[in-house]
Amino acid sequence: MSRNQSSSTDKTMSTWQLASLITSTLIGVGVLTLPRTSTERLAEQGWMAPLAGGGIALAATLLIAWLSRRYPGLTFIQYSEVIWGSRKSRWLGKLISLPWVLLYLAHLYIGTAITSRLFGEVVVTAVLRETPIEAIIITMFCLALFLCLHDVEVVSRVNELLFLLILFPVLIIGLLSFQKADWNQILPLFSASFPDVFKGAVETAFTYQGYEVMLIFFAFAQPVARKSQAGFIGIAVAIGVYTLITMSGIAVFGVDEMQKLTWPTLEIVKTTQMPGLVLERLESAFLGVWVAAVFTTISNTYYAFNLGLRQFFGRGMVFQRIMSLLLMFPLFYLALIPQNIVQIFRVSRMSGYIGLVVGLGLPLLYLAVSLMRRQGNRVKEKGKVAR
Amino acid sequence: MSKARCWIALLLALSLLLGGCWDRRELEERTSVLGMGIDLAKGKPNLLKVTVQIPIPIKIAGSGGQTGGKGGGSPVRVMSSTGHTVLEAISNLQKRLNQKIFIGHARVVAVSEEVARRGLREITDGFRRDPEMRRLLWPIVVKKDAAHLLKVKPKLEQIPIVYIMDMIESGTKTGSIPDQTLGNFYIQDSSRTMQPYLNYMVTHNDEIIWKGVAVFREDKMVGVLPELQTWVLNQLRDNKTGGDIVIAVPGKKGAYITVRPHFVRTKLKLEQAGNQTGSLQARYVCRLQCDLLEATFPLDFKDNGIIHKYEQIIRQEMEKRAAKLINMLQKDFKSDILKLGLAIHGHHYRDYWVSHNWVEEFPRFPISVQYDVHIRRIGMKMK
Repeated sequence: MSRNQSSSTDKTMSTWQLASLITSTLIGVGVLTLPRTSTERLAEQGWMAPLAGGGIALAATLLIAWLSRRYPGLTFIQYSEVIWGSRKSRWLGKLISLPWVLLYLAHLYIGTAITSRLFGEVVVTAVLRETPIEAIIITMFCLALFLCLHDVEVVSRVNELLFLLILFPVLIIGLLSFQKADWNQILPLFSASFPDVFKGAVETAFTYQGYEVMLIFFAFAQPVARKSQAGFIGIAVAIGVYTLITMSGIAVFGVDEMQKLTWPTLEIVKTTQMPGLVLERLESAFLGVWVAAVFTTISNTYYAFNLGLRQFFGRGMVFQRIMSLLLMFPLFYLALIPQNIVQIFRVSRMSGYIGLVVGLGLPLLYLAVSLMRRQGNRVKEKGKVAR
Repeated sequence: MSKARCWIALLLALSLLLGGCWDRRELEERTSVLGMGIDLAKGKPNLLKVTVQIPIPIKIAGSGGQTGGKGGGSPVRVMSSTGHTVLEAISNLQKRLNQKIFIGHARVVAVSEEVARRGLREITDGFRRDPEMRRLLWPIVVKKDAAHLLKVKPKLEQIPIVYIMDMIESGTKTGSIPDQTLGNFYIQDSSRTMQPYLNYMVTHNDEIIWKGVAVFREDKMVGVLPELQTWVLNQLRDNKTGGDIVIAVPGKKGAYITVRPHFVRTKLKLEQAGNQTGSLQARYVCRLQCDLLEATFPLDFKDNGIIHKYEQIIRQEMEKRAAKLINMLQKDFKSDILKLGLAIHGHHYRDYWVSHNWVEEFPRFPISVQYDVHIRRIGMKMK
């Protein structure tokens, strides 16, 4: 069948590609609000929220990598029916795994919509003020659609290529903004209690959303690629970026001012001056590059969704191409459902919590079942025989 | 081959469609406001009068070839309008202009003292929401009429606002004028641990004079700190040098000495006051390295103790100025613009900050300032 084919011929992702895939999926539109959301509960200690939240994301990614090692070459959709079913009746496995798979796919789909809407909102409020938000969302969708027409290999290459482009602006902005930092703003170091740090970490969930695409993409790793290592690097880079941005936000603005800013990271960019005044207004340049970061987030998620959908129905590449085009239309309307910016923030926070269930809960559940049924190795042998 | 070429040609043609901008607005299609002044409307206390300064590109020398600058008349237009809010006044102004007003290029926002005393939060709200507004512009408080500041013609620069801007910028570079941008004002206004302040200017005929800073409590102006105290504030708060120190030497008539600080390092020490636990006191130790610029009486450096003697004189004078600063802030203004609260919040959170209300505590908080003055160089003249 076509699904077996696709999973055995496309094992092209190297460790580095996997890592950059994770980082660039994670870093997206969430960074623009992260300094505000993470200081909301923790105040001066806000920079700990992305650190602790990153810990959760890291644990989840390592679980996903472990799961993928037990079923090499199979995606979440494919090993779902193996885990829940028996060798005789595959349809039973498919039936039991149906709610989980559907939850996962729906989460990816909605996540794409929310991210693209948030991106559109930023662009419309800050740069292109007269442009209809629909135009921005559609343009972004066209890019994502274009990626979906190609093989997985293209996805990994695009991410590898854009990785540095995403990373450098954030790092440069973060470091440049330290010129205006007042380090007393970040003190006292330990004012919040431990449960508060944990709650704050959970609240950063939306920013860390995205690692769950690895439930799909780990299947395409080269046999020699080290998935846990890739997961570790990918998440660690994102943690570094997030903590840096939050820290510089607190040090530059202080906690009280940050609560008043809708897009704190954008304001950091605005107050940051390049030494020598090469570019006086950095924010347009920053947002220009930022498109790349959001593009990888949206298109990776949408790609994972379409790939999952195609495997769920056991179809090939043509099915993916057609479906990614057709499903673009409901996605567009989905993105436009929230009526105002406050509602979007609420929805994105909810989506972050659901993301925790999907990204952490599902792998835990699957691993537990898989370990209890002592599967893993059996499938590996079976895979060899089948090939 | 030809088919491929067709495709390429088609793609290139399509890219022409992609190059456009949705909300394109040419530079000359908008009226850039360089400076803005906000006053209370005369006779109508609940109306604001907003005055804007708009450059006239064709009258600016150098831009319009030979005809530019020659035509006479001012290179800027100053217009005023009133409204209940700043934005209403601006939209009233829009009714009288041919192009769309663009305030993203504003570099100076002047506010009259009257308005500042009523509070600035309602005025800055619109600025905060506007993504085009720079956080790096200079807000200033003007003693009487903010509109007058925009009408003043300093003559040294074509565009008056550029003159004011340069004045503040060069002042912040030398350390005599505090670096108070709009963004800094926002931060200090929002913070629980400090109070905001803004540069204070006085207009007089065709002159614009910097006269220290306007001190705020919350968002309301409460008083003016004169130049000498502002320089001490710069030294204590930001390690900036402040202006030249001119001192009348005690005991000698008509004897003055001028020194210029070129290096300042202030350490803030928070210590336990007395033997009472839970009480704090702040001690600023300011190390000042200066150059001798001028002395109106003979100085003989062969005398070993002479430098030390004048260092002591300067030290006493600076400590006197600092004591006045602290006294004004604590007694008159009750406003912590020193960022002392921030340091206490950061370093004594559990043992002090949580149990005290800083806003109430500041006026009676023990603060002392110590100077440590060094004269390093005496210039080109030895005797």
